[in-house]
Amino acid sequence: MGTMLLSGIFASDAKISVVDALLLALIGVVIVFVVLIALMLIVTLVGKIFDGSEKLRNEHPEWAEKVNNVKSKMTFWKKKVAETAAPAEKPALAEGTCGELRLINTDERDAAMIMAIVADSTGTPLNELRFKSIKRVEDEEK
Amino acid sequence: MDIGQIIKNLWDNSGFNRLGLAGGWQSLVMIIIALFFLWLGIKKKFEPLLLVGIAFGMLLTNLPAGDSDMIFHPEWWTGASAVENGVDYLNVLQHGGLLDILYIGVKTGVYPCLIFIGVGAMTDFGPMLSRPSSLILGAAAQGGIYLVLILAVATGMFTGGEASSISIIAGADGPTAIFLTKTLAPHLLAPIAVAAYSYMALIPLLQPPFMKLLTTKKERMTVMTATRKVSKKEKIIFPILVTILVSLLLPSVAPLLGSLMFGNLLKECGVTERLSDTAQNALMNIVTLFLGISVGATAIGTTFLTEKTLLIVVLGLGGFVLATICGLLIGKLLYVVSKGKINPLIGSAGVSAVPMAARVANTIGLQYNKGNYLLMHAMGPNVAGVIGSAVAAGFLLAVFGA
Repeated sequence: MGTMLLSGIFASDAKISVVDALLLALIGVVIVFVVLIALMLIVTLVGKIFDGSEKLRNEHPEWAEKVNNVKSKMTFWKKKVAETAAPAEKPALAEGTCGELRLINTDERDAAMIMAIVADSTGTPLNELRFKSIKRVEDEEK
Repeated sequence: MDIGQIIKNLWDNSGFNRLGLAGGWQSLVMIIIALFFLWLGIKKKFEPLLLVGIAFGMLLTNLPAGDSDMIFHPEWWTGASAVENGVDYLNVLQHGGLLDILYIGVKTGVYPCLIFIGVGAMTDFGPMLSRPSSLILGAAAQGGIYLVLILAVATGMFTGGEASSISIIAGADGPTAIFLTKTLAPHLLAPIAVAAYSYMALIPLLQPPFMKLLTTKKERMTVMTATRKVSKKEKIIFPILVTILVSLLLPSVAPLLGSLMFGNLLKECGVTERLSDTAQNALMNIVTLFLGISVGATAIGTTFLTEKTLLIVVLGLGGFVLATICGLLIGKLLYVVSKGKINPLIGSAGVSAVPMAARVANTIGLQYNKGNYLLMHAMGPNVAGVIGSAVAAGFLLAVFGA
């Protein structure tokens, strides 16, 4: 073990004693556990942060709107592009469309399904309905 | 024209004649072993994707040929000149046979890393992220590696580098075993790779007796409840975090673990579907093909059929068993700590053979409690085991790799 203490390393073609192997095994096991336990703690922490933010979002849906507002104001880099480039025209709405729809915590697939269900259950053609926004209402915690 | 002389020359140059010369019987034995492996792979379907390639490489390299006809030159890779001055890659490229060229990927450690990109792209770390305690089980099973290290050194037949390379067989992780062995004991690459992949294929036979021996019926019947849902962002952050943390701690294993995590990031980030698809399929298949045949080519009778090889086979088997036992014991500990919420059977999946070890835990769980599906719970320790064995290899490389 003296060699290891001096240089901190063995030559791969040198024989080592059983005592050295025992100590190496001990250190090796400790290192594997330390690394994986450190990963476990980090993973747990990241999980808690995400769960916590999800919980907050559910408890205070109005915060999401505020965050979205702030986010929309933080597009200064886009403004720079807009200043240098010609102002882009808003894409024309398709014929029969009743305007834009705001989706809050809802993905496009769910929104499409909801609109189809409403159209079907009310017996109204989809192009005659106007959806302003679709917002996901979270289940209450049990 | 002397027809007799022509026939004599033909006979002298034929492989049949060479089988009767020095080293011929070893070649014959290796051909029989290669045929046996081909039978195992094709008929018994034991890890066929690798075993068929390894066996065929073994067959090709042991068919006697003249110097100019050789498709693999082991002395270029592990001979005295290569050990002292390093491998002459220019000579390999100019005069090497097919398997010499393919072997460059093994020698440089490129194949294991490319395989790990594919493995990463196929791995879902979700079960592990949803139950972080899985990482402890993944660490526990690596105890087998270090116990084999002690046993290998105790035999007095192996150097530190050789013992380390043999011990990594217990990690049940082929690419990691190759990555470590090509640096620490390249001359033992064939028996170690063959042992590692053969035992991985035999996991469904090796593990169950110890799983039943070390757990009670009540423990085996434990039903594990669903864990929290892991968000997409967590799955994206994880590979980046692991790469940074482990590479800073053990730089020697950065290529291997970095490749694994890179592959996983391709899968999870959602914007590189084409690359992820290539890594999982085309890349993985091509590298598996090259790796199998070139590793098999290193199994040459005169160097393979030795007392050391036999000992490696025995130590490797012991390593798998010890790794399973270590995982199960910590699984039992977690069963107690969690007040019966964690089924100790999933501890055996801490050996990194993905997904065979997890499937075995699931099968045994189902035998004792129909409807008790442990597969997703066992996948956590299983993928944690891959990280654990890479960390263990990194430590051994740091100690012996200079």
